[in-house]
Amino acid sequence: MAALGSRSSSVLSCQNVSVRFGAFQAVNNVSIDLAAGQTLALIGPNGAGKTTFINAVSGRVSLAAGRIRLGDADITNVPVHRRAAAGLGRSFQIINIFDQMTVLENLRLAAQSRAFGWQPCWRPVSAWPALERRAREVAAMVGLEAELDLPVTMLSHGKQRAVELGLALIPDPKVLLLDEPLAGIGHSEIEPTMELLQQVRKGRSVLLVEHNMDVVDRIADEIVVMVGGEVLLRDRPSAIWNSAEVRRLYLGSEVAGHA
Amino acid sequence: MRQVKHSEVLTVGVLVLLFAAAPFVTGDEGWLYLAALIMTWSIFALGYDISFGLTGLLSFGHAAFFGMGAYAASWAMLSAGLPFSVGIVAAIGAGGLSALVFGFVGRRVSGLYFSLMTLMLAELISIVMTTRLRHLSGGVDGLPGVPRPQAFGIDFFNAANFYWVIFALFCLTLAFCAVLKSSPLGQALRGVRQNAVRSEQVGFNVGALRLTALTLSGCLSGLAGALLASLMMYVSPQLLGWKMSGDVVIMTLLGGSGTPVGPVIGVTLVELLREGLSATTEHWYGLLGVIFILCTIYLPEGVAGLGRKLWRR
Repeated sequence: MAALGSRSSSVLSCQNVSVRFGAFQAVNNVSIDLAAGQTLALIGPNGAGKTTFINAVSGRVSLAAGRIRLGDADITNVPVHRRAAAGLGRSFQIINIFDQMTVLENLRLAAQSRAFGWQPCWRPVSAWPALERRAREVAAMVGLEAELDLPVTMLSHGKQRAVELGLALIPDPKVLLLDEPLAGIGHSEIEPTMELLQQVRKGRSVLLVEHNMDVVDRIADEIVVMVGGEVLLRDRPSAIWNSAEVRRLYLGSEVAGHA
Repeated sequence: MRQVKHSEVLTVGVLVLLFAAAPFVTGDEGWLYLAALIMTWSIFALGYDISFGLTGLLSFGHAAFFGMGAYAASWAMLSAGLPFSVGIVAAIGAGGLSALVFGFVGRRVSGLYFSLMTLMLAELISIVMTTRLRHLSGGVDGLPGVPRPQAFGIDFFNAANFYWVIFALFCLTLAFCAVLKSSPLGQALRGVRQNAVRSEQVGFNVGALRLTALTLSGCLSGLAGALLASLMMYVSPQLLGWKMSGDVVIMTLLGGSGTPVGPVIGVTLVELLREGLSATTEHWYGLLGVIFILCTIYLPEGVAGLGRKLWRR
């Protein structure tokens, strides 16, 4: 049974997920499985329910119906912070970082949440070298070594994006949800960010929402097309670009380069 | 270490030295009483700032924690005849417990709704204490004769001697706040204030952190309440009223929240103003209002913020 096989190897499994805001059905009966090591891109027009779906998976909105499993655990009713602790990292479409802290303080704080629950409170946070070590490791990974002591508000948009990604990477999550990691990034910064994403997705499963089809084509193993809160199609990138239905409903002229 | 700045250590040091020097400069009971009053209110304001400045919880109901601390200590000493030290512990417990209840009731609300909820809960306690629990609270007349410590054969009814008790607890509070601020817990609370959504997403239990902060804040408020009761040797339901909550908000904002000295400076300003003007005009509170409005417009970071700007120049 193919369905059974894919479920046992999937790290994230969403079954018949629906989200409603009052009378509006934002996500309707969506089932998506994410295999270990797979990068799955979620594309579709604005209002297709992509971000709402990410919010449902990370726990920010509650489900009207459906189940979500992370590995062997059912996380449908688990609060956000426990999903995060269980290995679900996410970045936001709009930069969402600790804006009155330096880069180091941002990353160290993220490292802290996993390091201990109740800690001896008289020791200053700087007396825990493991936190700073992890913060520096991740800073090196996302290219922020030179900016460690700068307040994040002084960074360029692209560097703030790197902090955003760094915060998600600190606990080394098994599953990473990236909501438009290239949003607002300048043209010159797209290529380095692309390389960073390539590096980040190694060894983990990624669910990616992105409007830049060039990027999607280069890093996604598979693509899910969402329209009107429902899954229209799931396939390999090449098949998606050639689908007449996808082109009619979403891509239009965007895909001309690939056709 | 970025959390503890040299300028902060220096200003706190100067402040402590000033209060330590006061009994040597003046033997006047009135002035010592005023200085002790300022330190007592400072403990309250520093406690309040754990909730407001550090965690971002704007509470309008801290009078409840303050007043319950005052009453817990008074009951322990007056009715049960327990020593002062036990009264202080009871006050810290009562302040913390009240805050825990407030935090639990308000666990689902945030922002302005949280502020209004704390105001209403505190008013509820105040009203119940003045009416239904009149036999316990003494009603509007309050309870006179709240004792001071009795130990080592020292006469703590002497203003100078009791001054040192308050001074010691004031220093402990300053140290506690400094340690908390630079601790991992303090950093997590800072994170909650700056970005609760991100805090949750990196794995912090934001609700539990808010509750912890409010409880710690309530403990210090309760301590301050007990000290005030003992200083005035009197406790009344006025300590539970909304005006107390308002005063601590004004003092903290005036001085500058989020800094170790800000709340203390704010308390000092308000108390000196009260002392200087209340004798000449009964409208001194109106003048305080004008000063407060000017401050929020021109000094949004309070007097301590102004000091920081001048320091950097």
